[in-house]
Amino acid sequence: MAVMVVLVYAAVAAFELWLWDERPWKKVVLYLVLFAGAATLAALIMVDNELAVPEPVGYLKGLVKKLWQGGGGP
Amino acid sequence: MREIVPDQQGMILVLLFIVGNTLVYSLGGLAGADIWLAFLIAMVAALPMVLLLARIRSLMQGLGFYAGLERILGRWPSRLLALAYAGFTWRLSCFVVSDVTNFVQAVALPTTPQVVVATLFALLMLWAAKEGVEVLARFAVLISKVVFFVLFLTLMFLLSEVELTQFQPVLYHGFKPVLRGAYQLLDFPFLEVVVLFWVFDSFPSKSSPYRAFVPGFLLAAAILLVMDCASLAVVGAEQYALFYFPVWTAVARINVATFLTRQEAIVGLVFAVGSFVKMACSLLASSRALAYAFGFEDYRFVVTPLALGVIPGSQWFITTVLEVDRSATATHSGIEVLFQVVIPVAIWIAAELRAKSRGPKAKQA
Repeated sequence: MAVMVVLVYAAVAAFELWLWDERPWKKVVLYLVLFAGAATLAALIMVDNELAVPEPVGYLKGLVKKLWQGGGGP
Repeated sequence: MREIVPDQQGMILVLLFIVGNTLVYSLGGLAGADIWLAFLIAMVAALPMVLLLARIRSLMQGLGFYAGLERILGRWPSRLLALAYAGFTWRLSCFVVSDVTNFVQAVALPTTPQVVVATLFALLMLWAAKEGVEVLARFAVLISKVVFFVLFLTLMFLLSEVELTQFQPVLYHGFKPVLRGAYQLLDFPFLEVVVLFWVFDSFPSKSSPYRAFVPGFLLAAAILLVMDCASLAVVGAEQYALFYFPVWTAVARINVATFLTRQEAIVGLVFAVGSFVKMACSLLASSRALAYAFGFEDYRFVVTPLALGVIPGSQWFITTVLEVDRSATATHSGIEVLFQVVIPVAIWIAAELRAKSRGPKAKQA
């Protein structure tokens, strides 16, 4: 199923690129990178329904807490 | 090509964006029976931020948004900031789509997979974002007439069920729950208006940002205040905080002469329309910011991958209706404070300093 999802995303990307009047390489690269990201996320969600959401702020908070508690020790 | 939104259309867009997907949730539920007080405090607290956003846009003096931002911050800081906001607004559009899909599944289509509803809304917002902010604002004006009519009608019917004693005694639990309720409201939906800061490209005049942001915000806040207070007066303070969709439940109780009943579907209509406007605005802001961050003037080519990314994104950030409720009624998290308060204040300070330093130069010239 995940492969099917990726194929559908690829087909949509190919179709839309075909519709463009001009295809400057910078635009095409960004477009494809974004599509690849979207397709990867869709495939990952298909494989693992409870995919963890990254929490950079939570990670930083945890790190600061760890460092704070660790400070002053022998 | 610059997109100019007239004042009145801008105001309606701000209004529908704020009312958007918020109408059915237990906004300010932490305040209990003193919800009206929480609303008033939140409005007073959010107004300076809204004025600040309008002031920044006003200081850009007729420039397009990104040209104005570059003048204030310089090219690379502006691009970095745009990249960060692209992520923030994309995440918000995922949240809004998730709100809608969970709501639809909870009240109307329990056996339909959420991804079906998410795909339909993603395609709709893709279309709207590709058309641009001018078309979106015109649509908002057109559909707002229906929204206002429905809300007015609902409120009139709801008045027959209202128990004003539900608001008494005032401040029974003290002032702390009221402040927490106000804090809830600031996070969602009042300060989310920062997204529109990235949506509007140009305004017709220097005072236009004020004429769009301030009345739009105040009207939206007043509508939410009235609707939520009426709902609380129907279902009771405790139930209001407990229900996922208290407005929906309150409207379901409307019974005019056993003839007019089950009016909640029309609240669902307002919710769907408002959510559509909000998710389209978020996607538009995300696309514009991302394209600018990578040095492109045209943003339309990134709309499709971002919109199709929202479909899995809406299943990723939030998976259940309980999480929807938590995200809607939670108080501020670090990311929200950063994007809704800290960064806009920093931009405002930079804009004022830039305007001051440019003042004497302009006079010399």
